[in-house]
Amino acid sequence: MRSIIKWTLWQRRWSTMWWAIGIAFFILLTLVFYPSFKDAGMQLQKSFESLPKAALGLFGGSADFFSPVGYLNSQIFFLMLPLLLTMLAVALGSSLIAREEQDLTIELLLSRPVSRSKLLFAKIIAGTGVLVVVSLISLITVVIAAHLFDLSSVPASAVALTTFNCFLLAYTTGAIAFLLSATGRARGAAIGVATVVGFGGYIISSLAGTVHWLHGPSRAFPFNYFQSEAILRQTYHWTSALYFLGVIVGCGILSYIAFRRRDIA
Amino acid sequence: MRSGDVAIDCKNLTKRYRGTKVDALHDLTIHVKAGEIYGFLGPNGAGKSTTIRTLMNFIQPTSGSATIMGKDIVADSVTIKRSVGYLSGDLSMYLKMTGAQFLEYMGELQPPVSQAYRKELIKRFQAELHKPLGELSRGNRQKIGIVQAFMHQPAVLILDEPTSGLDPLMQEEFYELLTEARQRGAAVFSSSHILGEVQKMCDRVGIIREGRLIAERSIADLAQEAAQTFDIVFKDKPPIGKLKQIKGTKETSVHGNTVTLHFHGELRPLFTELAQHDILKLDTQNLDLEEIFLRFYKQNGGWK
Repeated sequence: MRSIIKWTLWQRRWSTMWWAIGIAFFILLTLVFYPSFKDAGMQLQKSFESLPKAALGLFGGSADFFSPVGYLNSQIFFLMLPLLLTMLAVALGSSLIAREEQDLTIELLLSRPVSRSKLLFAKIIAGTGVLVVVSLISLITVVIAAHLFDLSSVPASAVALTTFNCFLLAYTTGAIAFLLSATGRARGAAIGVATVVGFGGYIISSLAGTVHWLHGPSRAFPFNYFQSEAILRQTYHWTSALYFLGVIVGCGILSYIAFRRRDIA
Repeated sequence: MRSGDVAIDCKNLTKRYRGTKVDALHDLTIHVKAGEIYGFLGPNGAGKSTTIRTLMNFIQPTSGSATIMGKDIVADSVTIKRSVGYLSGDLSMYLKMTGAQFLEYMGELQPPVSQAYRKELIKRFQAELHKPLGELSRGNRQKIGIVQAFMHQPAVLILDEPTSGLDPLMQEEFYELLTEARQRGAAVFSSSHILGEVQKMCDRVGIIREGRLIAERSIADLAQEAAQTFDIVFKDKPPIGKLKQIKGTKETSVHGNTVTLHFHGELRPLFTELAQHDILKLDTQNLDLEEIFLRFYKQNGGWK
Protein backbone atom coordinates (compact mmCIF):
# COMPACT_ATOMS: atom_id res chain seq x y z
CA MET A 1 0.00 0.00 0.00
CA ARG A 2 2.88 2.31 0.84
CA SER A 3 4.18 1.93 -2.70
CA ILE A 4 0.88 2.95 -4.25
CA ILE A 5 0.77 6.03 -2.02
CA LYS A 6 4.38 6.88 -2.82
CA TRP A 7 4.02 6.51 -6.58
CA THR A 8 0.65 8.27 -6.69
CA LEU A 9 2.21 11.22 -4.89
CA TRP A 10 5.17 11.03 -7.27
CA GLN A 11 2.82 11.22 -10.24
CA ARG A 12 1.04 14.21 -8.72
CA ARG A 13 4.14 16.07 -7.60
CA TRP A 14 4.19 18.72 -10.31
CA SER A 15 0.44 19.37 -10.32
CA THR A 16 0.52 19.64 -6.52
CA MET A 17 3.35 22.13 -6.72
CA TRP A 18 1.53 24.27 -9.30
CA TRP A 19 -1.70 24.19 -7.33
CA ALA A 20 0.17 25.31 -4.21
CA ILE A 21 2.03 28.06 -6.07
CA GLY A 22 -1.17 29.22 -7.79
CA ILE A 23 -3.19 29.43 -4.60
CA ALA A 24 -0.34 31.10 -2.70
CA PHE A 25 -0.04 33.62 -5.52
CA PHE A 26 -3.79 34.41 -5.41
CA ILE A 27 -3.65 34.84 -1.65
CA LEU A 28 -0.67 37.18 -1.82
CA LEU A 29 -2.19 39.14 -4.68
CA THR A 30 -5.39 39.60 -2.67
CA LEU A 31 -3.83 40.51 0.67
CA VAL A 32 -1.13 42.80 -0.65
CA PHE A 33 -3.80 45.42 -1.41
CA TYR A 34 -5.29 45.43 2.08
CA PRO A 35 -3.22 48.39 3.38
CA SER A 36 -4.53 50.54 0.50
CA PHE A 37 -8.15 49.37 0.90
CA LYS A 38 -8.12 49.80 4.63
CA ASP A 39 -7.75 53.59 4.37
CA ALA A 40 -10.50 54.04 1.81
CA GLY A 41 -12.59 51.48 3.61
CA MET A 42 -14.77 53.73 5.77
CA GLN A 43 -16.45 55.36 2.79
CA LEU A 44 -16.82 52.11 0.87
CA GLN A 45 -18.15 50.41 3.96
CA LYS A 46 -21.28 52.59 3.87
CA SER A 47 -21.92 51.64 0.25
CA PHE A 48 -21.69 47.96 1.08
CA GLU A 49 -23.98 48.28 4.07
CA SER A 50 -26.71 49.50 1.73
CA LEU A 51 -26.50 46.32 -0.39
CA PRO A 52 -29.54 44.00 -0.24
CA LYS A 53 -29.27 41.03 2.09
CA ALA A 54 -29.35 38.55 -0.81
CA ALA A 55 -26.37 40.24 -2.42
CA LEU A 56 -24.48 40.29 0.86
CA GLY A 57 -25.21 36.60 1.20
CA LEU A 58 -23.06 35.94 -1.85
CA PHE A 59 -20.14 37.63 -0.08
CA GLY A 60 -20.53 35.79 3.19
CA GLY A 61 -23.58 37.49 4.66
CA SER A 62 -21.63 40.27 6.33
CA ALA A 63 -21.26 43.91 5.33
CA ASP A 64 -17.91 44.04 7.09
CA PHE A 65 -15.35 44.03 4.30
CA PHE A 66 -12.60 46.25 5.59
CA SER A 67 -11.80 45.16 9.12
CA PRO A 68 -8.99 42.56 9.16
CA VAL A 69 -11.49 39.77 9.90
CA GLY A 70 -13.98 41.09 7.33
CA TYR A 71 -11.33 41.42 4.64
CA LEU A 72 -9.84 37.97 5.23
CA ASN A 73 -13.31 36.45 5.26
CA SER A 74 -14.73 38.14 2.19
CA GLN A 75 -11.58 38.01 0.06
CA ILE A 76 -9.98 34.71 1.05
CA PHE A 77 -12.01 32.39 3.19
CA PHE A 78 -15.60 32.84 2.15
CA LEU A 79 -15.14 32.03 -1.50
CA MET A 80 -11.65 32.05 -3.01
CA LEU A 81 -9.85 29.47 -0.88
CA PRO A 82 -12.80 27.05 -0.55
CA LEU A 83 -13.45 27.40 -4.27
CA LEU A 84 -9.86 26.61 -5.26
CA LEU A 85 -9.45 23.81 -2.73
CA THR A 86 -12.77 22.32 -3.82
CA MET A 87 -11.67 22.42 -7.46
CA LEU A 88 -8.51 20.59 -6.49
CA ALA A 89 -10.41 18.07 -4.34
CA VAL A 90 -12.93 17.34 -7.11
CA ALA A 91 -10.11 16.93 -9.63
CA LEU A 92 -8.39 14.50 -7.26
CA GLY A 93 -11.53 12.63 -6.23
CA SER A 94 -12.64 12.13 -9.80
CA SER A 95 -9.28 10.94 -11.05
CA LEU A 96 -7.46 8.96 -8.35
CA ILE A 97 -9.22 5.74 -9.33
CA ALA A 98 -10.87 6.79 -12.58
CA ARG A 99 -7.68 7.81 -14.37
CA GLU A 100 -6.03 4.49 -13.52
CA GLU A 101 -9.12 2.79 -14.85
CA GLN A 102 -9.31 4.95 -17.95
CA ASP A 103 -5.63 4.33 -18.73
CA LEU A 104 -6.02 0.64 -17.82
CA THR A 105 -3.05 0.92 -15.46
CA ILE A 106 -5.34 -0.27 -12.68
CA GLU A 107 -4.90 -3.77 -14.13
CA LEU A 108 -1.19 -3.58 -13.41
CA LEU A 109 -1.89 -2.80 -9.78
CA LEU A 110 -4.60 -5.43 -9.38
CA SER A 111 -2.45 -8.05 -11.08
CA ARG A 112 -0.16 -7.79 -8.05
CA PRO A 113 -1.15 -9.09 -4.60
CA VAL A 114 -2.99 -5.88 -3.76
CA SER A 115 -6.59 -6.03 -2.55
CA ARG A 116 -9.09 -3.58 -3.91
CA SER A 117 -9.69 -2.19 -0.43
CA LYS A 118 -5.97 -1.48 0.00
CA LEU A 119 -5.82 0.12 -3.42
CA LEU A 120 -8.80 2.30 -2.57
CA PHE A 121 -7.37 3.22 0.81
CA ALA A 122 -3.96 4.02 -0.66
CA LYS A 123 -5.55 6.32 -3.22
CA ILE A 124 -7.59 8.06 -0.50
CA ILE A 125 -4.44 8.61 1.59
CA ALA A 126 -2.51 9.95 -1.41
CA GLY A 127 -5.35 12.30 -2.37
CA THR A 128 -5.68 13.45 1.23
CA GLY A 129 -1.95 14.07 1.31
CA VAL A 130 -2.09 16.33 -1.73
CA LEU A 131 -5.02 18.31 -0.32
CA VAL A 132 -3.32 18.62 3.08
CA VAL A 133 -0.08 19.89 1.51
CA VAL A 134 -1.86 22.51 -0.60
CA SER A 135 -4.06 23.54 2.36
CA LEU A 136 -1.01 23.88 4.63
CA ILE A 137 0.83 25.99 2.08
CA SER A 138 -2.29 28.15 1.77
CA LEU A 139 -2.43 28.50 5.54
CA ILE A 140 1.24 29.43 5.82
CA THR A 141 0.84 31.96 3.01
CA VAL A 142 -2.16 33.57 4.70
CA VAL A 143 -0.40 33.74 8.07
CA ILE A 144 2.75 35.28 6.59
CA ALA A 145 0.80 37.67 4.33
CA ALA A 146 -1.46 38.69 7.22
CA HIS A 147 1.64 39.53 9.23
CA LEU A 148 3.14 41.55 6.39
CA PHE A 149 0.03 43.46 5.32
CA ASP A 150 -1.56 44.80 8.51
CA LEU A 151 -3.88 41.87 9.16
CA SER A 152 -1.97 40.42 12.08
CA SER A 153 -4.75 41.30 14.53
CA VAL A 154 -6.53 38.15 13.35
CA PRO A 155 -5.15 35.30 15.49
CA ALA A 156 -3.17 32.68 13.58
CA SER A 157 -5.22 30.01 15.36
CA ALA A 158 -8.44 31.44 13.88
CA VAL A 159 -6.82 31.50 10.42
CA ALA A 160 -5.72 27.89 10.91
CA LEU A 161 -9.20 26.75 11.97
CA THR A 162 -10.84 28.55 9.06
CA THR A 163 -8.38 26.97 6.63
CA PHE A 164 -9.20 23.63 8.22
CA ASN A 165 -12.89 24.31 7.63
CA CYS A 166 -12.11 25.12 3.96
CA PHE A 167 -10.19 21.83 3.82
CA LEU A 168 -13.18 19.94 5.25
CA LEU A 169 -15.57 21.55 2.76
CA ALA A 170 -13.26 20.72 -0.15
CA TYR A 171 -12.60 17.22 1.15
CA THR A 172 -16.33 16.54 1.44
CA THR A 173 -16.95 17.55 -2.17
CA GLY A 174 -13.92 15.58 -3.29
CA ALA A 175 -15.22 12.54 -1.39
CA ILE A 176 -18.48 12.73 -3.35
CA ALA A 177 -16.50 12.83 -6.62
CA PHE A 178 -14.40 9.90 -5.40
CA LEU A 179 -17.50 7.87 -4.54
CA LEU A 180 -18.97 8.45 -7.99
CA SER A 181 -15.77 7.43 -9.74
CA ALA A 182 -15.43 4.39 -7.45
CA THR A 183 -18.85 3.20 -8.59
CA GLY A 184 -17.54 3.26 -12.15
CA ARG A 185 -19.12 6.48 -13.33
CA ALA A 186 -17.17 8.38 -15.93
CA ARG A 187 -14.84 11.10 -14.69
CA GLY A 188 -17.02 13.73 -16.34
CA ALA A 189 -20.07 12.60 -14.40
CA ALA A 190 -18.10 12.56 -11.13
CA ILE A 191 -16.79 16.08 -11.76
CA GLY A 192 -20.22 17.32 -12.82
CA VAL A 193 -22.17 15.99 -9.85
CA ALA A 194 -19.52 17.03 -7.32
CA THR A 195 -19.40 20.51 -8.83
CA VAL A 196 -23.18 20.85 -8.61
CA VAL A 197 -23.07 19.73 -4.98
CA GLY A 198 -20.15 22.03 -4.19
CA PHE A 199 -21.00 25.21 -6.05
CA GLY A 200 -24.74 24.73 -6.32
CA GLY A 201 -24.58 24.47 -2.56
CA TYR A 202 -22.76 27.80 -2.41
CA ILE A 203 -25.54 29.55 -4.34
CA ILE A 204 -28.37 27.85 -2.45
CA SER A 205 -26.79 28.35 0.98
CA SER A 206 -26.00 31.99 0.20
CA LEU A 207 -29.56 32.70 -0.89
CA ALA A 208 -31.19 30.69 1.89
CA GLY A 209 -30.96 33.69 4.23
CA THR A 210 -33.42 35.65 2.09
CA VAL A 211 -35.28 32.98 0.12
CA HIS A 212 -36.96 31.10 2.92
CA TRP A 213 -38.02 28.02 0.98
CA LEU A 214 -34.34 27.36 0.21
CA HIS A 215 -33.57 27.08 3.90
CA GLY A 216 -34.55 23.38 4.10
CA PRO A 217 -32.79 22.20 0.89
CA SER A 218 -29.67 24.19 1.76
CA ARG A 219 -29.09 21.90 4.74
CA ALA A 220 -28.30 19.06 2.39
CA PHE A 221 -25.32 20.89 0.89
CA PRO A 222 -21.83 21.04 2.41
CA PHE A 223 -21.57 24.77 1.94
CA ASN A 224 -24.36 25.28 4.49
CA TYR A 225 -22.00 24.01 7.21
CA PHE A 226 -19.11 26.13 6.11
CA GLN A 227 -19.13 29.38 8.10
CA SER A 228 -15.82 31.08 7.66
CA GLU A 229 -16.75 34.35 9.33
CA ALA A 230 -18.05 32.59 12.43
CA ILE A 231 -14.75 30.72 12.76
CA LEU A 232 -12.67 33.85 12.28
CA ARG A 233 -14.79 35.58 14.94
CA GLN A 234 -14.53 32.41 17.05
CA THR A 235 -18.30 31.90 17.29
CA TYR A 236 -18.49 28.73 15.14
CA HIS A 237 -20.19 25.69 16.55
CA TRP A 238 -17.89 22.85 15.61
CA THR A 239 -20.75 20.39 15.79
CA SER A 240 -21.56 21.67 12.27
CA ALA A 241 -18.29 20.09 11.13
CA LEU A 242 -19.74 16.70 12.02
CA TYR A 243 -21.70 16.99 8.78
CA PHE A 244 -18.42 16.99 6.85
CA LEU A 245 -17.09 14.04 8.80
CA GLY A 246 -20.32 12.14 8.26
CA VAL A 247 -20.31 12.68 4.49
CA ILE A 248 -16.58 11.87 4.21
CA VAL A 249 -16.86 8.64 6.20
CA GLY A 250 -20.11 7.71 4.43
CA CYS A 251 -18.55 8.27 0.99
CA GLY A 252 -15.51 6.23 2.03
CA ILE A 253 -17.64 3.27 3.13
CA LEU A 254 -19.89 3.44 0.06
CA SER A 255 -16.82 3.72 -2.21
CA TYR A 256 -15.45 0.52 -0.68
CA ILE A 257 -18.76 -1.32 -1.11
CA ALA A 258 -19.11 -0.14 -4.71
CA PHE A 259 -15.51 -0.81 -5.75
CA ARG A 260 -14.96 -4.11 -3.94
CA ARG A 261 -16.72 -6.36 -6.40
CA ARG A 262 -17.49 -4.36 -9.50
CA ASP A 263 -16.10 -4.99 -12.95
CA ILE A 264 -13.11 -2.90 -13.85
CA ALA A 265 -13.97 -1.21 -17.12
CA MET B 1 3.01 -27.29 -7.32
CA ARG B 2 4.27 -30.39 -9.12
CA SER B 3 4.41 -30.70 -12.85
CA GLY B 4 1.13 -32.19 -14.08
CA ASP B 5 -1.01 -30.81 -11.24
CA VAL B 6 -3.92 -28.69 -12.41
CA ALA B 7 -2.89 -25.05 -12.02
CA ILE B 8 -5.81 -23.29 -13.73
CA ASP B 9 -9.21 -24.92 -13.58
CA CYS B 10 -12.30 -23.25 -15.08
CA LYS B 11 -15.69 -24.87 -14.65
CA ASN B 12 -18.60 -23.58 -16.70
CA LEU B 13 -17.22 -20.08 -16.47
CA THR B 14 -19.69 -17.60 -17.93
CA LYS B 15 -19.57 -13.85 -18.23
CA ARG B 16 -22.32 -11.60 -19.47
CA TYR B 17 -21.66 -7.87 -19.32
CA ARG B 18 -24.31 -5.67 -17.82
CA GLY B 19 -26.73 -4.32 -20.40
CA THR B 20 -25.99 -7.04 -22.96
CA LYS B 21 -28.07 -10.04 -23.93
CA VAL B 22 -25.27 -12.29 -25.12
CA ASP B 23 -22.65 -14.06 -23.06
CA ALA B 24 -19.19 -12.72 -23.78
CA LEU B 25 -17.98 -16.01 -22.35
CA HIS B 26 -20.20 -19.06 -22.21
CA ASP B 27 -19.76 -22.18 -20.12
CA LEU B 28 -15.99 -22.29 -20.47
CA THR B 29 -14.48 -25.41 -19.00
CA ILE B 30 -10.74 -25.77 -19.37
CA HIS B 31 -7.78 -26.72 -17.28
CA VAL B 32 -4.09 -25.96 -17.57
CA LYS B 33 -1.52 -28.10 -15.85
CA ALA B 34 1.70 -27.07 -14.18
CA GLY B 35 4.49 -27.34 -16.70
CA GLU B 36 2.13 -26.80 -19.62
CA ILE B 37 1.75 -23.95 -22.08
CA TYR B 38 -1.85 -23.52 -23.13
CA GLY B 39 -2.63 -21.36 -26.13
CA PHE B 40 -5.98 -19.68 -26.28
CA LEU B 41 -6.76 -18.95 -29.85
CA GLY B 42 -9.43 -16.90 -31.51
CA PRO B 43 -10.01 -13.77 -33.53
CA ASN B 44 -10.50 -10.36 -31.96
CA GLY B 45 -13.69 -10.20 -29.91
CA ALA B 46 -13.97 -13.99 -29.49
CA GLY B 47 -13.69 -13.81 -25.68
CA LYS B 48 -9.96 -14.32 -25.07
CA SER B 49 -9.46 -11.12 -23.10
CA THR B 50 -12.74 -11.62 -21.23
CA THR B 51 -11.46 -15.01 -20.09
CA ILE B 52 -8.15 -13.54 -18.98
CA ARG B 53 -9.76 -10.58 -17.22
CA THR B 54 -12.11 -12.94 -15.41
CA LEU B 55 -9.24 -15.17 -14.31
CA MET B 56 -7.44 -12.08 -13.03
CA ASN B 57 -10.62 -11.01 -11.17
CA PHE B 58 -10.77 -7.67 -12.97
CA ILE B 59 -14.30 -8.66 -13.89
CA GLN B 60 -16.60 -10.99 -12.00
CA PRO B 61 -17.95 -14.20 -13.52
CA THR B 62 -21.72 -14.23 -14.01
CA SER B 63 -21.79 -17.95 -13.23
CA GLY B 64 -19.44 -20.87 -12.98
CA SER B 65 -16.19 -20.91 -11.10
CA ALA B 66 -12.46 -21.07 -11.57
CA THR B 67 -9.49 -21.80 -9.43
CA ILE B 68 -5.82 -20.99 -9.81
CA MET B 69 -3.53 -23.29 -7.85
CA GLY B 70 -6.59 -24.61 -6.07
CA LYS B 71 -7.78 -21.20 -4.90
CA ASP B 72 -10.95 -19.45 -5.99
CA ILE B 73 -10.32 -16.61 -8.41
CA VAL B 74 -12.79 -14.29 -6.67
CA ALA B 75 -12.51 -15.14 -2.97
CA ASP B 76 -8.74 -15.75 -2.95
CA SER B 77 -7.77 -13.27 -5.62
CA VAL B 78 -5.06 -11.52 -3.60
CA THR B 79 -3.42 -14.78 -2.49
CA ILE B 80 -3.48 -16.06 -6.07
CA LYS B 81 -1.73 -12.95 -7.38
CA ARG B 82 1.34 -13.82 -5.33
CA SER B 83 1.91 -16.69 -7.74
CA VAL B 84 0.76 -15.06 -10.96
CA GLY B 85 2.59 -13.09 -13.62
CA TYR B 86 0.35 -11.07 -15.90
CA LEU B 87 0.92 -9.33 -19.19
CA SER B 88 -2.01 -7.37 -20.54
CA GLY B 89 -2.85 -7.14 -24.19
CA ASP B 90 -3.23 -3.38 -24.14
CA LEU B 91 0.03 -2.95 -22.28
CA SER B 92 -1.08 0.21 -20.58
CA MET B 93 1.67 1.71 -18.52
CA TYR B 94 2.54 4.85 -16.61
CA LEU B 95 3.89 6.74 -19.58
CA LYS B 96 5.73 9.39 -17.58
CA MET B 97 7.73 6.82 -15.62
CA THR B 98 10.98 5.49 -16.97
CA GLY B 99 11.32 1.75 -17.42
CA ALA B 100 13.46 1.61 -14.27
CA GLN B 101 10.85 3.47 -12.20
CA PHE B 102 8.08 1.29 -13.56
CA LEU B 103 9.92 -1.92 -12.71
CA GLU B 104 10.76 -0.53 -9.27
CA TYR B 105 7.06 0.19 -8.66
CA MET B 106 5.95 -3.23 -9.83
CA GLY B 107 8.78 -4.82 -7.86
CA GLU B 108 7.68 -3.06 -4.70
CA LEU B 109 4.18 -4.46 -5.11
CA GLN B 110 5.53 -7.95 -5.72
CA PRO B 111 9.26 -8.29 -5.08
CA PRO B 112 11.36 -10.29 -7.57
CA VAL B 113 12.65 -13.62 -6.30
CA SER B 114 16.15 -12.44 -7.06
CA GLN B 115 17.54 -9.17 -8.31
CA ALA B 116 19.99 -11.16 -10.41
CA TYR B 117 17.13 -12.77 -12.35
CA ARG B 118 15.50 -9.37 -12.88
CA LYS B 119 18.79 -8.03 -14.21
CA GLU B 120 19.19 -11.05 -16.44
CA LEU B 121 15.74 -10.49 -17.96
CA ILE B 122 16.51 -6.81 -18.57
CA LYS B 123 19.72 -7.82 -20.30
CA ARG B 124 18.16 -10.58 -22.38
CA PHE B 125 15.37 -8.34 -23.64
CA GLN B 126 17.62 -5.28 -23.96
CA ALA B 127 14.99 -3.32 -22.05
CA GLU B 128 15.38 0.46 -22.29
CA LEU B 129 15.22 1.63 -18.68
CA HIS B 130 16.15 5.27 -18.78
CA LYS B 131 13.61 6.83 -21.12
CA PRO B 132 10.02 7.64 -20.17
CA LEU B 133 7.76 4.80 -21.26
CA GLY B 134 5.73 7.23 -23.33
CA GLU B 135 8.76 7.79 -25.55
CA LEU B 136 9.32 4.09 -26.21
CA SER B 137 8.03 2.12 -29.17
CA ARG B 138 5.31 -0.51 -28.67
CA GLY B 139 7.92 -3.24 -28.88
CA ASN B 140 10.21 -1.66 -26.31
CA ARG B 141 7.31 -1.20 -23.91
CA GLN B 142 6.35 -4.83 -24.49
CA LYS B 143 9.84 -5.91 -23.43
CA ILE B 144 9.43 -4.07 -20.14
CA GLY B 145 5.98 -5.62 -19.79
CA ILE B 146 7.53 -9.06 -20.20
CA VAL B 147 10.18 -8.31 -17.57
CA GLN B 148 7.54 -7.22 -15.03
CA ALA B 149 5.46 -10.33 -15.69
CA PHE B 150 8.35 -12.79 -15.32
CA MET B 151 10.69 -11.13 -12.81
CA HIS B 152 9.18 -12.77 -9.73
CA GLN B 153 9.30 -16.21 -11.38
CA PRO B 154 5.59 -16.88 -10.95
CA ALA B 155 4.10 -20.37 -10.88
CA VAL B 156 1.31 -19.26 -13.22
CA LEU B 157 1.65 -16.91 -16.17
CA ILE B 158 -1.38 -15.33 -17.75
CA LEU B 159 -0.42 -13.57 -20.95
CA ASP B 160 -2.59 -11.67 -23.41
CA GLU B 161 -1.02 -11.44 -26.87
CA PRO B 162 2.49 -11.54 -25.35
CA THR B 163 4.61 -11.04 -28.45
CA SER B 164 2.75 -8.18 -30.08
CA GLY B 165 5.22 -5.52 -31.15
CA LEU B 166 8.30 -7.68 -30.59
CA ASP B 167 10.78 -8.08 -33.41
CA PRO B 168 11.56 -11.67 -34.55
CA LEU B 169 14.74 -11.89 -32.44
CA MET B 170 12.91 -10.84 -29.31
CA GLN B 171 10.06 -13.21 -30.14
CA GLU B 172 12.58 -16.06 -30.17
CA GLU B 173 13.95 -14.86 -26.85
CA PHE B 174 10.43 -14.83 -25.49
CA TYR B 175 9.74 -18.39 -26.66
CA GLU B 176 12.91 -19.45 -24.92
CA LEU B 177 11.79 -17.72 -21.75
CA LEU B 178 8.48 -19.58 -21.92
CA THR B 179 10.29 -22.87 -22.36
CA GLU B 180 12.35 -22.11 -19.26
CA ALA B 181 9.18 -21.26 -17.34
CA ARG B 182 7.66 -24.57 -18.43
CA GLN B 183 10.81 -26.41 -17.37
CA ARG B 184 10.62 -25.00 -13.87
CA GLY B 185 6.98 -26.16 -13.70
CA ALA B 186 5.07 -22.96 -14.42
CA ALA B 187 1.64 -23.14 -16.02
CA VAL B 188 1.23 -20.71 -18.88
CA PHE B 189 -2.09 -19.52 -20.27
CA SER B 190 -1.50 -17.35 -23.29
CA SER B 191 -3.98 -15.85 -25.69
CA SER B 192 -3.05 -15.17 -29.24
CA HIS B 193 -4.50 -14.70 -32.65
CA ILE B 194 -1.17 -15.48 -34.30
CA LEU B 195 -1.37 -19.10 -35.33
CA GLY B 196 2.30 -19.62 -35.97
CA GLU B 197 3.13 -18.36 -32.52
CA VAL B 198 0.72 -20.74 -30.82
CA GLN B 199 2.09 -23.57 -32.90
CA LYS B 200 5.59 -22.68 -31.88
CA MET B 201 5.18 -22.18 -28.17
CA CYS B 202 2.18 -24.18 -26.93
CA ASP B 203 1.57 -27.72 -25.78
CA ARG B 204 -2.20 -27.47 -26.13
CA VAL B 205 -4.58 -25.05 -27.72
CA GLY B 206 -8.17 -24.08 -27.09
CA ILE B 207 -10.05 -22.42 -29.89
CA ILE B 208 -12.70 -19.94 -28.85
CA ARG B 209 -15.43 -18.45 -30.96
CA GLU B 210 -18.13 -16.04 -29.81
CA GLY B 211 -17.34 -16.84 -26.19
CA ARG B 212 -17.54 -20.61 -26.59
CA LEU B 213 -14.73 -23.11 -26.61
CA ILE B 214 -15.22 -24.92 -29.89
CA ALA B 215 -12.18 -27.18 -29.84
CA GLU B 216 -9.33 -28.15 -27.58
CA ARG B 217 -6.40 -30.22 -28.80
CA SER B 218 -2.78 -30.86 -28.05
CA ILE B 219 -0.42 -29.59 -30.71
CA ALA B 220 0.58 -33.22 -31.28
CA ASP B 221 -3.04 -34.21 -31.94
CA LEU B 222 -3.49 -31.26 -34.22
CA ALA B 223 -0.44 -32.36 -36.15
CA GLN B 224 -2.07 -35.76 -36.62
CA GLU B 225 -5.27 -34.16 -37.83
CA ALA B 226 -3.59 -31.61 -39.97
CA ALA B 227 -3.27 -31.83 -43.66
CA GLN B 228 0.32 -31.85 -44.83
CA THR B 229 1.23 -29.33 -47.43
CA PHE B 230 3.51 -30.25 -50.31
CA ASP B 231 5.01 -27.88 -52.84
CA ILE B 232 5.79 -29.99 -55.94
CA VAL B 233 7.62 -28.68 -58.99
CA PHE B 234 6.99 -30.87 -62.06
CA LYS B 235 9.27 -30.94 -65.05
CA ASP B 236 6.27 -30.95 -67.38
CA LYS B 237 2.65 -29.96 -67.09
CA PRO B 238 1.34 -31.09 -63.67
CA PRO B 239 -1.21 -33.98 -63.68
CA ILE B 240 -3.65 -31.89 -61.69
CA GLY B 241 -6.72 -33.97 -62.59
CA LYS B 242 -5.12 -37.18 -61.33
CA LEU B 243 -3.81 -35.53 -58.18
CA LYS B 244 -7.29 -34.29 -57.29
CA GLN B 245 -8.66 -37.80 -57.61
CA ILE B 246 -6.27 -39.27 -55.05
CA LYS B 247 -8.00 -40.05 -51.75
CA GLY B 248 -6.78 -37.58 -49.13
CA THR B 249 -6.23 -34.62 -51.43
CA LYS B 250 -7.97 -31.66 -49.92
CA GLU B 251 -6.96 -28.64 -51.92
CA THR B 252 -4.65 -27.94 -54.77
CA SER B 253 -3.37 -24.79 -56.35
CA VAL B 254 -1.28 -24.52 -59.48
CA HIS B 255 1.25 -21.87 -60.50
CA GLY B 256 2.92 -22.87 -63.78
CA ASN B 257 4.56 -26.21 -63.14
CA THR B 258 4.31 -25.88 -59.37
CA VAL B 259 1.48 -27.51 -57.44
CA THR B 260 0.70 -26.80 -53.80
CA LEU B 261 -1.15 -29.74 -52.39
CA HIS B 262 -2.92 -30.06 -49.03
CA PHE B 263 -3.05 -33.74 -48.23
CA HIS B 264 -4.39 -35.75 -45.32
CA GLY B 265 -4.16 -39.53 -44.94
CA GLU B 266 -2.21 -42.41 -46.42
CA LEU B 267 0.68 -41.09 -48.50
CA ARG B 268 1.33 -44.19 -50.65
CA PRO B 269 -1.26 -43.38 -53.40
CA LEU B 270 0.12 -39.88 -53.70
CA PHE B 271 3.72 -40.98 -54.07
CA THR B 272 2.71 -43.79 -56.45
CA GLU B 273 1.20 -41.16 -58.72
CA LEU B 274 4.15 -38.80 -58.32
CA ALA B 275 6.58 -41.62 -59.18
CA GLN B 276 5.12 -41.65 -62.68
CA HIS B 277 6.25 -38.08 -63.34
CA ASP B 278 9.50 -36.16 -63.45
CA ILE B 279 9.68 -34.15 -60.23
CA LEU B 280 12.24 -31.33 -60.04
CA LYS B 281 11.60 -30.44 -56.42
CA LEU B 282 9.39 -31.50 -53.54
CA ASP B 283 9.05 -29.49 -50.31
CA THR B 284 6.85 -30.12 -47.30
CA GLN B 285 5.59 -27.27 -45.19
CA ASN B 286 5.31 -27.38 -41.41
CA LEU B 287 2.08 -28.13 -39.60
CA ASP B 288 -0.49 -25.77 -41.04
CA LEU B 289 -2.39 -24.61 -38.00
CA GLU B 290 -4.12 -21.95 -40.02
CA GLU B 291 -5.82 -24.59 -42.11
CA ILE B 292 -7.03 -26.36 -38.95
CA PHE B 293 -8.14 -23.13 -37.40
CA LEU B 294 -10.18 -22.18 -40.44
CA ARG B 295 -11.65 -25.67 -40.54
CA PHE B 296 -12.86 -25.37 -36.96
CA TYR B 297 -14.42 -22.04 -37.70
CA LYS B 298 -16.07 -23.28 -40.87
CA GLN B 299 -17.43 -26.34 -39.08
CA ASN B 300 -18.92 -24.14 -36.40
CA GLY B 301 -20.81 -21.73 -38.50
CA GLY B 302 -18.07 -19.84 -40.26
CA TRP B 303 -16.81 -16.37 -39.59
CA LYS B 304 -19.31 -13.78 -38.60
